[in-house]
Amino acid sequence: MVTASSISFGANSTFTSSSIPKTKPLFNIIPHSLKFTTGNGRAAVTFQRPVSVIPKATSADSRATKEPSRTFHGLCYVVGDNIDTDQIIPAEYLTLVPSNPDEYEKLGSYALIGLPATYTTRFIDENETKTKYKIIIAGGNFGCGSSREHAPVALGAAGCSAVVAESYARIFFRNSVATGEIYPLESEARLCEECSTGDVVTIEMAERRLINHTTGKEYKLKPIGDLGPVIDAGGIFAYARKTGMIASRN
Amino acid sequence: MASSVISPAPTSSFINNKKDLGSFCFSSTSQFSVNKCKKSAVSKKIVSVMAPQQSERRPATTGSVKNAMTLTEKIFSRASEKPQLSPGDNVWVNVDILMTHDVCGPGSFGIFKKEFGENAKVWDREKIVIIPDHYIFTSDERANRNVDILRDFCMEQNIKYFYDIKDLGNFKANPDYKGVCHIALAQEGHCRPGEVLLGTDSHTCTAGAFGQFATGIGNTDAGFVLGTGKVLLKVPPTLRFVLDGEMPDYLLAKDLILQIIGEISVAGATYKSMEFVGTTVERLSMEERMTLCNMVVEAGGKNGVVPADGTTFKYLEDKTSLPYEPVYSDEKASFLSEYRFDISKLEPLVAKPHSPDNRALARECKDVKIDRVYIGSCTGGKTEDFLAAAKVFLASGKKVKVPTFLVPATQKVWMDVYTLPVPGSGGKTCSQIFEEAGCDTPASPSCGACLGGPKDTYARMNEPMVCVSTTNRNFPGRMGHKEGQIYLASPYTAAASALTGYVTDPREFLE
Repeated sequence: MVTASSISFGANSTFTSSSIPKTKPLFNIIPHSLKFTTGNGRAAVTFQRPVSVIPKATSADSRATKEPSRTFHGLCYVVGDNIDTDQIIPAEYLTLVPSNPDEYEKLGSYALIGLPATYTTRFIDENETKTKYKIIIAGGNFGCGSSREHAPVALGAAGCSAVVAESYARIFFRNSVATGEIYPLESEARLCEECSTGDVVTIEMAERRLINHTTGKEYKLKPIGDLGPVIDAGGIFAYARKTGMIASRN
Repeated sequence: MASSVISPAPTSSFINNKKDLGSFCFSSTSQFSVNKCKKSAVSKKIVSVMAPQQSERRPATTGSVKNAMTLTEKIFSRASEKPQLSPGDNVWVNVDILMTHDVCGPGSFGIFKKEFGENAKVWDREKIVIIPDHYIFTSDERANRNVDILRDFCMEQNIKYFYDIKDLGNFKANPDYKGVCHIALAQEGHCRPGEVLLGTDSHTCTAGAFGQFATGIGNTDAGFVLGTGKVLLKVPPTLRFVLDGEMPDYLLAKDLILQIIGEISVAGATYKSMEFVGTTVERLSMEERMTLCNMVVEAGGKNGVVPADGTTFKYLEDKTSLPYEPVYSDEKASFLSEYRFDISKLEPLVAKPHSPDNRALARECKDVKIDRVYIGSCTGGKTEDFLAAAKVFLASGKKVKVPTFLVPATQKVWMDVYTLPVPGSGGKTCSQIFEEAGCDTPASPSCGACLGGPKDTYARMNEPMVCVSTTNRNFPGRMGHKEGQIYLASPYTAAASALTGYVTDPREFLE
């Protein structure tokens, strides 16, 4: 993990410098400043999932208190290599504006609709708008192609919590972190060949492991890396506020 | 001072001994010397030409003592006001230009307002360029509404550069409208050496042709930049591509980049900068350099750069009066890897369905029957791309065998297509040659069907068919239909294919 020390502030008086906190995962609940709200500030009620730093336990109240670990649990959907943004959200749906709550929901309903017919199981069942697969397991270079933020947004809006891929394309990874819509994790092994769509999996962030309950196997996940502090803070805006880069909101 | 021809110092680990076969292939049958660095694929001839550079832990330097830096590192250094940095560092960078368009603008503005307040003002009304270009000539209501959203924001914020369009029925009736954002940015003088240009579009990397750092970002990052003029970026290491040799007259920059992507794969440059140097590159025009840098993202690249030189300065002469300061890689800068290509040995290429790295020789695909040809987009819809296509049609003198769609990238390109004389034609314009060849009439300038778009988009692939296209991506469904098959190619190859109805090597007509 890196970079707290490499953040510097320009001479511009708009930005105040502050001492940079040691980077370590924060386990407190941090209001996710990037969650989409309607114009009057009311959080869209249809959000099912809490923000990425809030532990997603299997207990009833997932908006839990301080817990030492984050977990994701649910069915997994498996895709291969080089799943590009056109497959994640075909371009014809990009007229939907993600910062508009109604259109945000509609975007979600089209998530992964661009996958070819070789994927016999749909990510979202016909006549549904949400997915039953909380976790996507992918091969290499997930999210390649366009810079469209609609891609991680569509996945998050559909109800996906995390992606575990062999590797990511840069802009998609960055957008996932910036929006906080899905947690982009990297596996050490090629999980897309180990898991099948419909397997029940649990991801334990602190232990950095994925457990496939259906096959009984466990796998190691890679550390979150440089963008850990940004993810922990809750996205780029929260991170910038926390480090004094921009003023806090009142 | 152009340092684009940097010979590796004798003490460098660049291997130039043919006998050192353990390091790379340089057989007479191969067209190029190559260095593959696929990390996971099992392959026999995959090693670095240059010993992998370990990132060293450099002690902090003081005063004006600097370590050697690459072009991209120098841009980061200046933009972040840090005299010293290394690949891997995360730094806050000052942005010179932020571009957005009709697809991502509304979302970016939404985030900007939510985070900075309904009455917030953008950080600099002159550094933001708003270019509607993606879904313009359509009856899709949301698409049309998105252009209105751009307009409302621009009026409210008094944005200086907004290339508006209101009359969708007649693009020429819109004096401000330009067309495809990346081409408009160049043509309007917003690309300058040494600067940082961000855009809410993956092909923003096109601007690297001007020796600047240019990359694509999402709505949230853009919303952040709108308010602050800064972005948090990780300094990328640089892959260097040395292209030498005289470019054969049947090759274009599109072939060069398809060659490179085919070599390093769609993830070969992830998080890395791609620097293009060498005698071939120096002789490329600005538009050809733009084509080269445009598809850097298809290799996963963070950005691409061509060092600025006389060609760059000449192009910029009548386009910008803002001062700029080009930077260049130091002689002793560290590159992650170096790849060398002898361009004189290259042949026209295509990228077969369904990946930009699915490289094949055009002549080896001559049995592939096609249904249509598409010439357009930021990759292959510039003036020179149309001149190139016209050259092939002129050489043939025959008519196309399949529907051939022409979508000039910008108004200016459209004008050029209708006014510029094609060399060797006795004064005919591209448009005349296209008409004689039976191509479709050049369409209104926009991104068009490159990415499919709303169902009524001109030239969209609404049924499964085979298309040779001068665009940049051919993943399933890219141009509309999931079962569509797209062969990415240069304008020469596209035009040649149109004439035969099969994927065709342009040498059939150019030699």
